[in-house]
Parts: sequence; structure tokens; C-alpha cells
Amino acid sequence: MTIQMIKFGEILNSRTAAREAVLRVKQIVNGSPEDIILDFSKVTLLTPSFADEIIKGIKEYYPDKKITYSGTEHNEALVSTLKGIGAIY
Amino acid sequence: MKIEFKNIDKLTDNVAVGAIIDLSGVDFMDPWAVVWVCLKLVNNHGLEDKAVKLPVNNDLLCYLKRIHFGSFLSELGYAEESGRLKNLIMPERENINVQELVHCNYRDEFDGRLGRFIQMFGNFGLNSGDATLAATLVGELGNNSFDHNLGSWPTDISGNIIIAQNYPKLKKIQIVVGDPGVGFLGSMRPAFPELSSDLEAIEKGLSGFTGRIDERRGNGLRLIQEWTIKNFYGTLSIQSGTGLINVSAKGMKKTEVKPILGTMAQLMIEYR
Repeated sequence: MTIQMIKFGEILNSRTAAREAVLRVKQIVNGSPEDIILDFSKVTLLTPSFADEIIKGIKEYYPDKKITYSGTEHNEALVSTLKGIGAIY
Repeated sequence: MKIEFKNIDKLTDNVAVGAIIDLSGVDFMDPWAVVWVCLKLVNNHGLEDKAVKLPVNNDLLCYLKRIHFGSFLSELGYAEESGRLKNLIMPERENINVQELVHCNYRDEFDGRLGRFIQMFGNFGLNSGDATLAATLVGELGNNSFDHNLGSWPTDISGNIIIAQNYPKLKKIQIVVGDPGVGFLGSMRPAFPELSSDLEAIEKGLSGFTGRIDERRGNGLRLIQEWTIKNFYGTLSIQSGTGLINVSAKGMKKTEVKPILGTMAQLMIEYR
């Protein structure tokens, strides 16, 4: 299941916004057995706070699902953020 | 008299006298000094005899007008001084090396401006990737202002104050984010009651600890340090209360300084 992160905004900032986004992801997943792909295509800015909060939040709801990331190749700052919080290596 | 990051602590008594902020003898201010003055103004906000004396130096007056310092003065009730800056006639010269003073009262306001910071860093000369990363740093610093002060602002002035300056000859950018909040000690103490000084609290925060009880967070400042040093060969400076810590590739330097209300964080980054 692919979550298009651009639908949460071009600028993804703050834990507060991420907590709301997690609740929306839960509605989108809605019982689907598929693993989760967070697609960052067209996202301009992702702060560590937002990234940390949304990934931890999704993992709390779905501890058995694998989370992967796509659409980061256009933006090295996104990769730095995901690496910085240990989401990718 | 110049007031800037490197000397402001020594000149505090010349500029902040009781409830009066006296800039009359000042002829240069860097972004650190501007935010320092803003926090002093917030600190004095409730005082009956509060006053501000604007600089005599015309270049500095023009700079203060250009950064919209008058709007901040107006917000705090200094109508006369704000009007003086508004009516100041200055050469109609754009200066893309100066980013206007931004006071974001609310988180949404701050979020809304983050996109403009990417553009600003691009105008300053950073490539697209670095401009986005630098704006991410500002985003993370600014988040802290709101995350750690929501519901606890010490005065009725909340939010954060941001200003930036490009030094093209030095190929350096100075960005300062300040907030009139509870500071590191106020934020960290609930989780670490043993902390006894601002310096200890800042150091704890820089080590990846958070003052939020039962929450897993604290990566932000660690990453800000790492990116500032590794990606931008820069220095991160944080003052909170009476503590000032500078972190660079050379290590950490801790200094006791005269107190401010809240916190100031400065990124001095280099570009090629």
C-alpha cells in the first residue's frame, strides 16, 4: 500500500502535524494486509520531527508491517532526514 | 559601538539599562544582536517604564527598517519608535543578503514561512539540496520553540523570532532563531530534576535527551549539530538563560553569560 506523502503537504514539519497524519494513514490502511510504502515524490521539505513521529506512529499501529520509502531520489535533504532518524541506512 | 555575537555579553549593560533598551550609541547589529534585543523587549513588555531609544546612526536605522524591526516594536506597543522607522526615508535599494525579521506567533505561521526559507537560502547562494537542508535545520529549530513552550510561555508574547544574514565575501550565512520561552532548564527539568544550571540543561539537550516525560524524542538537536558541522562546516550556538554553548568541528565551548529570557539558537554555516 502506497501512501502519497505529498497529500499531507509539500512541507512536512512538526510532530503535531505528523500525529494527525498518522491518524489519516490508519484510515487509508483500513485493515489492508499490505506493507506500507511512504512515497515522498514532490515533497520539498521533511523535518526529522515529522519523520520520526509519523514513522513511530505507524509502527505503533502496525508493528508487523514493513515500512519502506520511495520518491526520495529527487531530494537529498529528504534522504538526510530519513538517514538521520535511522529510518534508512 | 558594534553589538554582535562575539561581544554582546560585554556590552549588555550599555544597551539594556533597567526597562530601557538604549540603541542610541549603536552603529551596527548582527542578527544575534537583533534577536537578543527582541527578547529583551519581550522581557520588558510588562514594565510600566519600558522604553526603547533608537540608534542615531542612519545606516543602522535603515537596516532596522529594512528588516521590519518597526513591526516588532509596534507589536510590543512602541508606536512612536515604530512610526519613526516607518517614516524613515531610505535609498530604495533591495538587499537580498538580508532576511527580514520574522515573528511567528503561532506554529501555523511558522510552517507557512518554511517554504520561503528554502527560497531565501537559494537567493543567498546555496544549491537546491543545501537550501532545502538548511531550511530543514531552521524548521527543526523552530519546532522546538513551539514543542517545548506550548502552554508554558512565561509572558503573553509567544512564538519565535527569526532573522538571517548572508555574508557573500565570507561565504557564510548567519541564521538566528529565538523564543521568549521557558528555556532549556525549564524544559528539561521535569525529566531531569537534578539539572542545576542552564549550561547543564543545554548540554543535556544537545546530547539527544528530551525534557518530555514518557516520550521518545530528542533526535532534533543531535541532527542539527551533525548537519551544521558535517554538511555546512558550521557552528551551532545556543544561549538559554545564563548558558551559552558553541558546537563546531573543534568541539564544544561552554560560557556563562548574562541572562536572557528564553532561548536563542544560531547557525553559522558556510557554502562554496
